Amino acid sequence: MDGRIFNLLVESFPKMLVPCLKMTIPLTLISFGCSLVIALVLALVQVAEIPGLKQLARLYIWIFRGTPQIVQLYIIFYGLPSIGVMIDALPASIIALSLNAGAYNAETLRASIQAIPKGQTEAGYLTGLNFLQIMRKIVLPQASRIAFPQLFNSLISLVKTSSLASSVTVIEMFSVAKKIAGITFEPFILYCEAAVIYLMVCTILTLVQDVCEKRLNIAWS
Amino acid sequence: MIRVKNLHKSFGSNEVLKGIDFEVDNGEVIAVLGSSGSGKTTMLRCMSFLEKADQGEITFDEFHHDMVTISRRDIHKMRMHMGFVFQSFNLFANQTALENVTTGLTVARKIPKPQAQETAHEMLKKVGMEDRALYYPAQLSGGQQQRVAIARAIAANPRVVFFDEPTSALDPELTGEVLDVMKKLADEGTTMVIVTHEMQFARDVADKVVFMDGGSIIEQNGAKEFFESPQQERTLQFLRRSSKDYNYYI
Repeated sequence: MDGRIFNLLVESFPKMLVPCLKMTIPLTLISFGCSLVIALVLALVQVAEIPGLKQLARLYIWIFRGTPQIVQLYIIFYGLPSIGVMIDALPASIIALSLNAGAYNAETLRASIQAIPKGQTEAGYLTGLNFLQIMRKIVLPQASRIAFPQLFNSLISLVKTSSLASSVTVIEMFSVAKKIAGITFEPFILYCEAAVIYLMVCTILTLVQDVCEKRLNIAWS
Repeated sequence: MIRVKNLHKSFGSNEVLKGIDFEVDNGEVIAVLGSSGSGKTTMLRCMSFLEKADQGEITFDEFHHDMVTISRRDIHKMRMHMGFVFQSFNLFANQTALENVTTGLTVARKIPKPQAQETAHEMLKKVGMEDRALYYPAQLSGGQQQRVAIARAIAANPRVVFFDEPTSALDPELTGEVLDVMKKLADEGTTMVIVTHEMQFARDVADKVVFMDGGSIIEQNGAKEFFESPQQERTLQFLRRSSKDYNYYI
Protein backbone atom coordinates (compact mmCIF):
# COMPACT_ATOMS: atom_id res chain seq x y z
CA MET A 1 0.00 0.00 0.00
CA ASP A 2 1.05 3.53 -0.78
CA GLY A 3 2.72 4.98 2.29
CA ARG A 4 0.85 8.27 2.03
CA ILE A 5 -2.52 6.58 2.08
CA PHE A 6 -1.48 4.39 5.00
CA ASN A 7 -0.40 7.47 6.92
CA LEU A 8 -3.66 9.19 6.05
CA LEU A 9 -5.66 6.25 7.36
CA VAL A 10 -3.67 6.13 10.58
CA GLU A 11 -3.75 9.87 11.14
CA SER A 12 -7.42 10.32 10.42
CA PHE A 13 -8.54 7.35 12.49
CA PRO A 14 -8.31 9.06 15.90
CA LYS A 15 -9.69 12.25 14.37
CA MET A 16 -12.85 10.32 13.48
CA LEU A 17 -12.94 8.06 16.48
CA VAL A 18 -13.01 10.96 18.92
CA PRO A 19 -16.16 12.60 17.47
CA CYS A 20 -17.62 9.11 17.21
CA LEU A 21 -17.17 8.55 20.93
CA LYS A 22 -17.93 12.11 21.94
CA MET A 23 -20.83 12.84 19.60
CA THR A 24 -22.17 10.02 17.43
CA ILE A 25 -22.58 7.50 20.25
CA PRO A 26 -23.98 9.90 22.89
CA LEU A 27 -26.29 11.45 20.26
CA THR A 28 -27.53 7.97 19.37
CA LEU A 29 -28.01 6.80 22.94
CA ILE A 30 -29.74 9.97 24.14
CA SER A 31 -32.05 10.00 21.11
CA PHE A 32 -32.80 6.33 21.57
CA GLY A 33 -33.61 6.84 25.26
CA CYS A 34 -35.97 9.71 24.43
CA SER A 35 -37.53 7.70 21.62
CA LEU A 36 -38.33 4.87 24.05
CA VAL A 37 -40.15 7.27 26.36
CA ILE A 38 -42.14 8.65 23.41
CA ALA A 39 -42.82 5.13 22.14
CA LEU A 40 -44.02 3.92 25.55
CA VAL A 41 -46.47 6.77 25.91
CA LEU A 42 -47.75 6.36 22.33
CA ALA A 43 -48.12 2.60 22.73
CA LEU A 44 -49.91 2.78 26.10
CA VAL A 45 -52.28 5.47 24.90
CA GLN A 46 -53.26 3.18 22.02
CA VAL A 47 -53.55 0.02 24.09
CA ALA A 48 -55.62 1.82 26.73
CA GLU A 49 -57.85 3.07 23.92
CA ILE A 50 -58.09 6.56 25.39
CA PRO A 51 -60.45 8.42 23.07
CA GLY A 52 -58.82 11.40 21.36
CA LEU A 53 -55.33 10.55 22.53
CA LYS A 54 -55.36 7.30 20.60
CA GLN A 55 -56.21 9.12 17.36
CA LEU A 56 -53.55 11.70 18.16
CA ALA A 57 -50.98 8.91 18.54
CA ARG A 58 -51.99 7.42 15.19
CA LEU A 59 -51.67 10.84 13.57
CA TYR A 60 -48.20 11.30 15.06
CA ILE A 61 -47.03 7.90 13.85
CA TRP A 62 -48.55 8.49 10.43
CA ILE A 63 -46.67 11.76 10.00
CA PHE A 64 -43.30 10.63 11.32
CA ARG A 65 -43.26 7.36 9.46
CA GLY A 66 -44.52 8.98 6.29
CA THR A 67 -41.97 11.77 5.89
CA PRO A 68 -38.20 11.52 5.39
CA GLN A 69 -36.03 11.84 8.46
CA ILE A 70 -33.89 14.53 6.83
CA VAL A 71 -36.95 16.63 5.98
CA GLN A 72 -38.06 16.42 9.63
CA LEU A 73 -34.60 17.50 10.74
CA TYR A 74 -34.53 20.41 8.31
CA ILE A 75 -37.98 21.58 9.40
CA ILE A 76 -36.87 21.58 13.03
CA PHE A 77 -33.47 23.21 12.51
CA TYR A 78 -33.92 25.42 9.44
CA GLY A 79 -37.71 25.78 9.35
CA LEU A 80 -38.74 26.56 12.91
CA PRO A 81 -36.55 29.70 13.27
CA SER A 82 -38.71 31.40 10.62
CA ILE A 83 -41.67 31.12 12.98
CA GLY A 84 -39.55 32.29 15.88
CA VAL A 85 -38.43 28.96 17.37
CA MET A 86 -34.64 28.76 17.49
CA ILE A 87 -33.15 25.42 18.46
CA ASP A 88 -29.42 24.74 18.49
CA ALA A 89 -28.06 22.14 16.11
CA LEU A 90 -27.47 19.40 18.68
CA PRO A 91 -30.82 19.62 20.50
CA ALA A 92 -32.54 19.92 17.12
CA SER A 93 -30.86 16.69 16.01
CA ILE A 94 -31.77 14.91 19.24
CA ILE A 95 -35.38 16.05 18.89
CA ALA A 96 -35.62 14.99 15.24
CA LEU A 97 -34.01 11.59 15.81
CA SER A 98 -36.10 10.92 18.95
CA LEU A 99 -39.40 11.89 17.38
CA ASN A 100 -38.76 9.75 14.33
CA ALA A 101 -37.46 6.66 16.13
CA GLY A 102 -40.25 7.15 18.68
CA ALA A 103 -42.86 6.60 15.98
CA TYR A 104 -41.29 3.34 14.85
CA ASN A 105 -40.59 2.07 18.36
CA ALA A 106 -44.18 2.87 19.35
CA GLU A 107 -45.39 0.41 16.74
CA THR A 108 -42.93 -2.21 17.96
CA LEU A 109 -44.07 -1.79 21.55
CA ARG A 110 -47.76 -1.74 20.69
CA ALA A 111 -47.47 -4.97 18.72
CA SER A 112 -45.48 -6.59 21.54
CA ILE A 113 -48.01 -5.54 24.17
CA GLN A 114 -50.80 -6.91 22.05
CA ALA A 115 -48.93 -10.19 21.72
CA ILE A 116 -49.30 -10.86 25.46
CA PRO A 117 -52.39 -13.05 26.00
CA LYS A 118 -55.36 -10.91 26.97
CA GLY A 119 -56.27 -13.33 29.72
CA GLN A 120 -53.37 -12.10 31.82
CA THR A 121 -54.74 -8.57 31.67
CA GLU A 122 -58.19 -9.84 32.63
CA ALA A 123 -56.70 -11.78 35.50
CA GLY A 124 -54.84 -8.64 36.52
CA TYR A 125 -58.04 -6.63 36.70
CA LEU A 126 -59.74 -9.32 38.75
CA THR A 127 -56.77 -9.46 41.09
CA GLY A 128 -57.56 -5.81 41.82
CA LEU A 129 -54.85 -4.16 39.73
CA ASN A 130 -55.51 -1.08 37.62
CA PHE A 131 -54.38 -0.57 34.02
CA LEU A 132 -51.01 0.98 34.79
CA GLN A 133 -50.21 -1.61 37.47
CA ILE A 134 -51.04 -4.40 35.02
CA MET A 135 -48.79 -2.83 32.41
CA ARG A 136 -45.92 -2.25 34.80
CA LYS A 137 -45.97 -5.56 36.66
CA ILE A 138 -47.25 -8.02 34.10
CA VAL A 139 -47.52 -6.94 30.49
CA LEU A 140 -44.51 -4.69 29.90
CA PRO A 141 -41.92 -7.07 31.41
CA GLN A 142 -43.13 -9.71 28.94
CA ALA A 143 -43.70 -7.34 26.02
CA SER A 144 -40.28 -5.75 26.33
CA ARG A 145 -38.74 -9.15 25.84
CA ILE A 146 -40.65 -9.65 22.61
CA ALA A 147 -39.85 -6.11 21.52
CA PHE A 148 -36.16 -6.41 22.36
CA PRO A 149 -34.74 -7.60 19.00
CA GLN A 150 -36.79 -5.07 17.07
CA LEU A 151 -35.88 -2.23 19.44
CA PHE A 152 -32.26 -3.17 19.09
CA ASN A 153 -32.70 -3.00 15.35
CA SER A 154 -33.94 0.51 15.80
CA LEU A 155 -30.91 1.37 17.95
CA ILE A 156 -28.48 0.06 15.34
CA SER A 157 -30.33 1.95 12.66
CA LEU A 158 -30.11 5.10 14.77
CA VAL A 159 -26.30 4.85 14.95
CA LYS A 160 -26.23 5.35 11.22
CA THR A 161 -29.09 7.83 10.95
CA SER A 162 -27.29 10.05 13.45
CA SER A 163 -24.92 10.97 10.59
CA LEU A 164 -27.73 13.17 9.27
CA ALA A 165 -26.88 15.55 12.09
CA SER A 166 -23.83 16.52 10.05
CA SER A 167 -26.21 18.26 7.66
CA VAL A 168 -27.31 20.68 10.36
CA THR A 169 -23.75 21.64 11.46
CA VAL A 170 -23.33 19.12 14.29
CA ILE A 171 -19.70 18.02 14.45
CA GLU A 172 -20.05 14.25 14.59
CA MET A 173 -18.03 11.49 12.98
CA PHE A 174 -19.32 11.79 9.45
CA SER A 175 -18.93 15.56 9.30
CA VAL A 176 -15.28 15.12 10.34
CA ALA A 177 -14.83 12.50 7.59
CA LYS A 178 -16.30 14.94 5.07
CA LYS A 179 -13.96 17.67 6.26
CA ILE A 180 -10.81 15.55 6.03
CA ALA A 181 -11.90 14.19 2.65
CA GLY A 182 -12.29 17.74 1.42
CA ILE A 183 -8.84 18.78 2.58
CA THR A 184 -6.95 15.69 1.40
CA PHE A 185 -8.92 15.00 -1.80
CA GLU A 186 -9.21 11.35 -0.76
CA PRO A 187 -12.98 10.83 -0.44
CA PHE A 188 -12.83 7.12 -1.25
CA ILE A 189 -10.34 6.35 1.52
CA LEU A 190 -11.94 8.58 4.12
CA TYR A 191 -15.54 7.52 3.54
CA CYS A 192 -14.50 3.87 3.58
CA GLU A 193 -12.76 4.47 6.85
CA ALA A 194 -15.85 6.15 8.27
CA ALA A 195 -17.92 3.20 7.10
CA VAL A 196 -15.56 0.81 8.88
CA ILE A 197 -15.90 2.73 12.15
CA TYR A 198 -19.72 2.66 11.86
CA LEU A 199 -19.45 -1.05 11.18
CA MET A 200 -17.30 -1.53 14.28
CA VAL A 201 -19.82 0.28 16.48
CA CYS A 202 -22.70 -1.75 15.08
CA THR A 203 -20.73 -4.99 15.46
CA ILE A 204 -20.20 -4.26 19.13
CA LEU A 205 -23.91 -3.51 19.50
CA THR A 206 -24.80 -6.78 17.78
CA LEU A 207 -22.62 -8.67 20.23
CA VAL A 208 -24.30 -6.87 23.11
CA GLN A 209 -27.67 -7.86 21.65
CA ASP A 210 -26.67 -11.53 21.49
CA VAL A 211 -25.58 -11.56 25.12
CA CYS A 212 -28.74 -9.78 26.25
CA GLU A 213 -31.03 -12.08 24.30
CA LYS A 214 -29.40 -15.16 25.74
CA ARG A 215 -29.94 -13.78 29.25
CA LEU A 216 -33.53 -12.84 28.51
CA ASN A 217 -34.28 -16.31 27.24
CA ILE A 218 -33.25 -17.94 30.50
CA ALA A 219 -35.82 -16.21 32.70
CA TRP A 220 -39.30 -17.51 33.51
CA SER A 221 -39.01 -20.99 32.09
CA MET B 1 -75.36 -11.28 48.67
CA ILE B 2 -75.27 -10.98 44.88
CA ARG B 3 -78.36 -10.30 42.90
CA VAL B 4 -78.34 -9.72 39.16
CA LYS B 5 -81.52 -8.50 37.54
CA ASN B 6 -82.58 -8.59 33.91
CA LEU B 7 -79.10 -9.10 32.47
CA HIS B 8 -78.94 -8.76 28.70
CA LYS B 9 -75.91 -9.18 26.46
CA SER B 10 -75.51 -9.47 22.70
CA PHE B 11 -72.47 -9.93 20.55
CA GLY B 12 -73.44 -8.24 17.32
CA SER B 13 -76.79 -9.68 16.32
CA ASN B 14 -76.28 -12.75 18.49
CA GLU B 15 -78.25 -12.35 21.71
CA VAL B 16 -76.30 -14.40 24.24
CA LEU B 17 -78.12 -13.45 27.45
CA LYS B 18 -81.85 -12.79 27.27
CA GLY B 19 -82.72 -11.27 30.61
CA ILE B 20 -81.06 -13.28 33.34
CA ASP B 21 -82.11 -13.05 37.00
CA PHE B 22 -79.56 -14.64 39.23
CA GLU B 23 -78.96 -14.74 42.94
CA VAL B 24 -76.16 -15.98 45.16
CA ASP B 25 -76.42 -16.23 48.91
CA ASN B 26 -73.56 -16.03 51.34
CA GLY B 27 -71.77 -19.36 51.70
CA GLU B 28 -73.61 -20.90 48.79
CA VAL B 29 -71.97 -23.05 46.14
CA ILE B 30 -73.78 -22.69 42.84
CA ALA B 31 -73.07 -24.81 39.81
CA VAL B 32 -74.08 -23.31 36.49
CA LEU B 33 -74.71 -26.01 33.90
CA GLY B 34 -75.72 -25.93 30.28
CA SER B 35 -74.47 -26.84 26.87
CA SER B 36 -71.84 -24.80 25.06
CA GLY B 37 -73.16 -21.49 23.83
CA SER B 38 -75.91 -21.33 26.42
CA GLY B 39 -74.45 -18.15 27.94
CA LYS B 40 -72.95 -19.51 31.18
CA THR B 41 -69.51 -18.05 30.70
CA THR B 42 -70.87 -14.75 29.39
CA MET B 43 -73.03 -14.43 32.49
CA LEU B 44 -69.99 -14.89 34.72
CA ARG B 45 -67.95 -12.43 32.65
CA CYS B 46 -70.70 -9.82 32.79
CA MET B 47 -70.96 -10.19 36.56
CA SER B 48 -67.24 -9.55 36.89
CA PHE B 49 -67.37 -6.80 34.22
CA LEU B 50 -64.99 -8.51 31.83
CA GLU B 51 -67.83 -8.02 29.37
CA LYS B 52 -70.02 -4.95 29.41
CA ALA B 53 -73.69 -5.87 29.77
CA ASP B 54 -76.22 -4.25 27.45
CA GLN B 55 -78.76 -4.03 30.23
CA GLY B 56 -79.02 -5.16 33.84
CA GLU B 57 -78.56 -4.27 37.48
CA ILE B 58 -76.29 -5.79 40.05
CA THR B 59 -76.43 -5.73 43.82
CA PHE B 60 -73.39 -7.01 45.63
CA ASP B 61 -73.74 -6.52 49.39
CA GLU B 62 -73.46 -2.75 49.91
CA PHE B 63 -72.94 -2.04 46.21
CA HIS B 64 -75.83 -1.42 43.90
CA HIS B 65 -75.22 -0.44 40.29
CA ASP B 66 -76.65 -0.32 36.84
CA MET B 67 -74.39 -2.68 34.88
CA VAL B 68 -74.28 -0.42 31.82
CA THR B 69 -73.53 2.96 33.37
CA ILE B 70 -71.29 1.72 36.20
CA SER B 71 -68.02 3.64 36.43
CA ARG B 72 -64.57 2.13 36.19
CA ARG B 73 -63.93 3.08 39.81
CA ASP B 74 -67.06 1.29 41.05
CA ILE B 75 -66.12 -1.78 39.03
CA HIS B 76 -62.72 -1.71 40.71
CA LYS B 77 -64.29 -1.46 44.17
CA MET B 78 -66.49 -4.49 43.55
CA ARG B 79 -63.69 -6.52 42.02
CA MET B 80 -61.66 -6.06 45.19
CA HIS B 81 -64.13 -8.51 46.74
CA MET B 82 -64.29 -10.97 43.87
CA GLY B 83 -62.03 -13.84 42.90
CA PHE B 84 -62.01 -15.29 39.41
CA VAL B 85 -60.60 -18.56 38.14
CA PHE B 86 -60.28 -18.83 34.36
CA GLN B 87 -60.57 -21.81 32.08
CA SER B 88 -57.10 -21.08 30.71
CA PHE B 89 -55.55 -20.26 34.14
CA ASN B 90 -54.13 -16.92 32.95
CA LEU B 91 -51.26 -16.90 35.41
CA PHE B 92 -48.84 -14.00 35.03
CA ALA B 93 -46.11 -15.66 32.96
CA ASN B 94 -43.31 -13.41 34.24
CA GLN B 95 -44.00 -14.16 37.89
CA THR B 96 -43.40 -17.18 40.08
CA ALA B 97 -46.31 -19.00 41.67
CA LEU B 98 -45.65 -17.06 44.85
CA GLU B 99 -45.53 -13.70 43.06
CA ASN B 100 -48.72 -14.53 41.20
CA VAL B 101 -50.43 -14.78 44.57
CA THR B 102 -48.74 -11.81 46.26
CA THR B 103 -49.13 -9.24 43.44
CA GLY B 104 -52.81 -8.64 44.16
CA LEU B 105 -51.97 -8.15 47.82
CA THR B 106 -48.89 -5.95 47.59
CA VAL B 107 -49.66 -3.93 44.46
CA ALA B 108 -53.44 -3.63 44.52
CA ARG B 109 -54.04 -3.69 48.27
CA LYS B 110 -50.77 -2.23 49.54
CA ILE B 111 -50.22 -5.02 52.03
CA PRO B 112 -46.57 -5.11 53.22
CA LYS B 113 -44.52 -7.71 51.39
CA PRO B 114 -43.64 -10.01 54.33
CA GLN B 115 -47.26 -10.22 55.37
CA ALA B 116 -48.38 -10.80 51.77
CA GLN B 117 -45.83 -13.58 51.36
CA GLU B 118 -47.00 -15.24 54.54
CA THR B 119 -50.57 -15.17 53.23
CA ALA B 120 -49.43 -16.42 49.84
CA HIS B 121 -47.55 -19.36 51.34
CA GLU B 122 -50.63 -20.22 53.33
CA MET B 123 -52.79 -20.11 50.19
CA LEU B 124 -50.32 -22.18 48.18
CA LYS B 125 -50.29 -24.70 50.99
CA LYS B 126 -54.06 -24.86 50.90
CA VAL B 127 -53.98 -25.80 47.22
CA GLY B 128 -51.04 -28.16 47.72
CA MET B 129 -48.53 -26.06 45.82
CA GLU B 130 -46.25 -24.76 48.57
CA ASP B 131 -43.32 -26.79 47.27
CA ARG B 132 -43.67 -25.12 43.88
CA ALA B 133 -43.79 -21.55 45.19
CA LEU B 134 -40.74 -20.43 43.24
CA TYR B 135 -41.66 -22.09 39.95
CA TYR B 136 -42.76 -20.10 36.94
CA PRO B 137 -46.07 -20.97 35.27
CA ALA B 138 -44.26 -22.48 32.28
CA GLN B 139 -42.63 -24.98 34.65
CA LEU B 140 -45.96 -26.22 36.02
CA SER B 141 -48.52 -28.66 34.65
CA GLY B 142 -52.00 -27.46 33.77
CA GLY B 143 -53.48 -28.77 36.99
CA GLN B 144 -50.73 -27.17 39.03
CA GLN B 145 -51.19 -23.86 37.22
CA GLN B 146 -54.90 -23.93 37.91
CA ARG B 147 -54.29 -24.62 41.59
CA VAL B 148 -51.96 -21.62 41.76
CA ALA B 149 -54.65 -19.60 39.98
CA ILE B 150 -57.11 -20.67 42.67
CA ALA B 151 -54.64 -19.62 45.38
CA ARG B 152 -54.34 -16.24 43.63
CA ALA B 153 -58.13 -15.89 43.44
CA ILE B 154 -58.69 -16.58 47.15
CA ALA B 155 -55.62 -14.76 48.52
CA ALA B 156 -57.38 -11.48 49.24
CA ASN B 157 -60.20 -13.29 50.99
CA PRO B 158 -62.90 -12.40 48.44
CA ARG B 159 -66.58 -12.61 49.31
CA VAL B 160 -67.26 -14.69 46.22
CA VAL B 161 -65.15 -16.72 43.82
CA PHE B 162 -66.23 -17.25 40.21
CA PHE B 163 -64.97 -20.32 38.40
CA ASP B 164 -65.23 -20.33 34.61
CA GLU B 165 -64.96 -23.96 33.50
CA PRO B 166 -61.89 -24.43 35.68
CA THR B 167 -61.18 -27.98 34.52
CA SER B 168 -62.14 -27.80 30.85
CA ALA B 169 -58.58 -27.18 29.68
CA LEU B 170 -57.18 -30.08 31.71
CA ASP B 171 -56.80 -33.68 30.78
CA PRO B 172 -58.95 -36.05 32.86
CA GLU B 173 -56.02 -37.10 35.02
CA LEU B 174 -55.38 -33.56 36.20
CA THR B 175 -59.02 -32.64 36.67
CA GLY B 176 -59.26 -34.43 39.98
CA GLU B 177 -56.58 -32.42 41.76
CA VAL B 178 -58.31 -29.16 40.88
CA LEU B 179 -61.76 -30.43 41.85
CA ASP B 180 -60.37 -31.63 45.17
CA VAL B 181 -59.13 -28.14 45.96
CA MET B 182 -62.47 -26.64 44.98
CA LYS B 183 -64.32 -29.12 47.15
CA LYS B 184 -62.11 -28.14 50.06
CA LEU B 185 -62.96 -24.47 49.53
CA ALA B 186 -66.65 -25.30 49.36
CA ASP B 187 -66.40 -27.24 52.60
CA GLU B 188 -64.78 -24.21 54.23
CA GLY B 189 -67.84 -22.14 53.40
CA THR B 190 -66.46 -20.17 50.45
CA THR B 191 -69.18 -18.61 48.32
CA MET B 192 -68.64 -20.00 44.84
CA VAL B 193 -70.26 -19.75 41.44
CA ILE B 194 -68.95 -22.51 39.22
CA VAL B 195 -69.57 -22.79 35.51
CA THR B 196 -68.76 -26.41 34.78
CA HIS B 197 -69.36 -29.51 32.73
CA GLU B 198 -68.44 -31.76 35.65
CA MET B 199 -71.84 -33.24 36.48
CA GLN B 200 -70.68 -35.48 39.26
CA PHE B 201 -68.85 -32.63 40.93
CA ALA B 202 -71.90 -30.36 40.67
CA ARG B 203 -74.00 -33.07 42.20
CA ASP B 204 -71.62 -33.72 45.08
CA VAL B 205 -70.48 -30.22 45.94
CA ALA B 206 -73.05 -27.65 44.80
CA ASP B 207 -75.89 -26.48 47.02
CA LYS B 208 -77.81 -25.19 44.07
CA VAL B 209 -77.75 -25.87 40.35
CA VAL B 210 -78.66 -23.33 37.70
CA PHE B 211 -79.35 -24.71 34.26
CA MET B 212 -79.02 -22.40 31.27
CA ASP B 213 -80.07 -22.86 27.70
CA GLY B 214 -80.19 -20.43 24.79
CA GLY B 215 -79.34 -17.42 26.92
CA SER B 216 -81.95 -17.99 29.61
CA ILE B 217 -82.07 -19.76 32.94
CA ILE B 218 -84.38 -22.70 32.31
CA GLU B 219 -84.38 -24.22 35.74
CA GLN B 220 -82.75 -23.75 39.13
CA ASN B 221 -83.07 -25.93 42.14
CA GLY B 222 -81.25 -27.58 45.00
CA ALA B 223 -78.58 -29.90 43.62
CA LYS B 224 -80.27 -33.07 44.81
CA GLU B 225 -83.68 -32.05 43.44
CA PHE B 226 -82.18 -30.84 40.21
CA PHE B 227 -80.55 -34.14 39.38
CA GLU B 228 -83.22 -36.42 40.82
CA SER B 229 -86.35 -34.70 39.64
CA PRO B 230 -85.72 -32.20 36.87
CA GLN B 231 -88.83 -30.19 36.11
CA GLN B 232 -88.24 -29.15 32.51
CA GLU B 233 -88.12 -31.32 29.45
CA ARG B 234 -84.95 -29.51 28.22
CA THR B 235 -83.20 -30.20 31.52
CA LEU B 236 -84.04 -33.85 31.36
CA GLN B 237 -82.76 -34.07 27.82
CA PHE B 238 -79.48 -32.36 28.87
CA LEU B 239 -79.02 -34.64 31.87
CA ARG B 240 -79.62 -37.73 29.80
CA ARG B 241 -77.06 -36.67 27.25
CA SER B 242 -74.45 -35.68 29.78
CA SER B 243 -74.92 -38.55 32.15
CA LYS B 244 -72.18 -41.13 32.27
CA ASP B 245 -74.50 -44.07 31.75
CA TYR B 246 -76.08 -42.53 28.72
CA ASN B 247 -75.92 -45.14 25.99
CA TYR B 248 -74.91 -44.07 22.59
CA TYR B 249 -74.56 -45.98 19.41
CA ILE B 250 -71.69 -45.68 17.01
